Amino acid sequence: MDRLADVITLPARRAANTLAGGARNTYGNMSEWTRGEVDDWGRDPHFVGRVWALSHLRWNVAVNGHRRLPKSGGALVVVSARRFAMAPVFAALSIGGAVGRPVRFVGRPDVAPIGPVMQRLGGLLARADEIAGALRGGELVVMGADPTTHPRHVGHVDHRLVGAAVAAGTKVFPAATASVPFLRGARVEIGPEVRPDRRRRGPLIELELADGLESAIQQLLDELGGPVTGTPLDWLPLSGIGGT
Amino acid sequence: MRSACDTTWAPPERADAVLPGALTAAEAAPAGSIGDDAPESDITPTRKSPDNGTESESRDGRCEVTSLFMAVVGQRVLISGMGGELGSRVASLLENEPWVESLEGIDGDPPRRRLRRAVYHRIAPGDHDRTVDVVTKFDPHVLVHIAVWEPHSRANPGRARLLTDDAATSILGAAAECRSLESIVVRSGIEIYGRARGSVSRPDESARINPTCGFGKMLAGIEYTASTIGTRIGVAVGALRLAPVIGPHVPSPLGRYLRMQAVPFSALADPPFAVVQEIDVAAAFVAAARVRLAEPVNVVAPGAITAFQAIRRGRRLPVPMLGPDWVIARGLSYLAGAPIPDHVLELMHRGRLANGSRALEVLGIAPTNSTSEVIDKLYSWPSVVHTPAREAVA
Repeated sequence: MDRLADVITLPARRAANTLAGGARNTYGNMSEWTRGEVDDWGRDPHFVGRVWALSHLRWNVAVNGHRRLPKSGGALVVVSARRFAMAPVFAALSIGGAVGRPVRFVGRPDVAPIGPVMQRLGGLLARADEIAGALRGGELVVMGADPTTHPRHVGHVDHRLVGAAVAAGTKVFPAATASVPFLRGARVEIGPEVRPDRRRRGPLIELELADGLESAIQQLLDELGGPVTGTPLDWLPLSGIGGT
Repeated sequence: MRSACDTTWAPPERADAVLPGALTAAEAAPAGSIGDDAPESDITPTRKSPDNGTESESRDGRCEVTSLFMAVVGQRVLISGMGGELGSRVASLLENEPWVESLEGIDGDPPRRRLRRAVYHRIAPGDHDRTVDVVTKFDPHVLVHIAVWEPHSRANPGRARLLTDDAATSILGAAAECRSLESIVVRSGIEIYGRARGSVSRPDESARINPTCGFGKMLAGIEYTASTIGTRIGVAVGALRLAPVIGPHVPSPLGRYLRMQAVPFSALADPPFAVVQEIDVAAAFVAAARVRLAEPVNVVAPGAITAFQAIRRGRRLPVPMLGPDWVIARGLSYLAGAPIPDHVLELMHRGRLANGSRALEVLGIAPTNSTSEVIDKLYSWPSVVHTPAREAVA
């Protein structure tokens, strides 16, 4: 006798097993997703990784000049920003992906539910003491200039926030961002470190550093030449796409 | 003469042989230099040069921490709140410190662990006369003030405030009458920074004090009282601003809350918070007493966690809350034996982080258990097991 018994598995039972397995897998995945932890500043690296992966569906960001950033220790990167483009957020995510370090961005609101979600992404409040604390803690921080409607113009750089880097004694880098609303391509170009022209003992150093950053970012934007769609839209002087 | 109701656990000879040379080089090794940012807090660095006089303070306020680690032998240390879990643990650690000659403590309840050298006085917080009598007779060099009642830990918020105020007034006031007093270290908390909208997410010691909960205001009051006394009599006053303290025997309202079977959390915010384990806190108090801490220092475990993550780690049932339903949740939690004080509610809505990096610079030690580890331990500590009697004895 070569077999003991024949076991007949009913289709209903097989379906139930499949469903139970699926439920178990889903529960396991959910557990894995929700068991993550946040760092000292409330940034959730797993959440950031998922958002970054998801953002690839929309954006294809090229980062240049990231080798200028220190491999360890704090540094402040000031980027150009276009209105509603959330440039500091996507710049922080893309620079973080390029340098392999957590990168914070300045400008999260302190209102639920947006504020906590942005905190999970690495958001900081737009306060000089908060930025200075992060820089002293050796973090890379991205802050945006005031947003403009023109993609090739840089907005005002808040000298009080830049003063955080002066207080923390960290390096400051300019960066230009460029993107097209209806295309995937985007670019972040990080320039060389900006230092004040002369040594100051008082708050003038912050003003001069902010002015220097504005000039450096404007130069980077000019060198980028603006986004090109490859369509006749490039010829329109409207919305900042093409022309000057 | 000590009162008859004083309970003493000390051996007859209180002055044990004290070894010369306070600390090893290894303990002094991690010391760096104190940063040059003067903290803007109630506790101001009014450092009175102690008898050892080894500090070298330069013009810009910097001082070498290495000198601070050299404590003179033969010091008398007084601990208020010695009966609690934290106080008795601090006393236990201080007993092993070579620079401590004699150790006494005051509390309304007896210590929770066996102490070999320490002398314990059972005095109610409001008994000013006996407190003054005992403290002035002991004439301590260092006062470690731990007698702080966290709301809904062992007393309701009103009672906790009363007990804390009484203890602070009588003990700090009595200590001010002691001529040998050189240093006061008080227990404070990161609740003191407050969580007002737009306030710094992760304040360091230089952040503005703006308490937004009852416990934070209590702690601010203690720091203010201690700093005022320190300024008047010219002694160093330091404050350890602790993250929510969690431990196997610590009566923590946050720990009790998180250990419930179903735990409400803020679905819209779920902000991060940090905690610290009581063994790290006790070590920080000992280090603060040793170095004659003269400024506020945050004691926070590295890392942070959100309520939802903590609940998931503990395999509890998360109950999402949206706002008004918190009133019901508080009531149910109260009935379940885990009342939620306002500072815990604030933590659940606004989070509570603090920068604890300065502890390593100033105290030479930092918490070793991360926030996630402390939360994991919280869920692994056994619950109270009620065992029925095997046979009737009456």
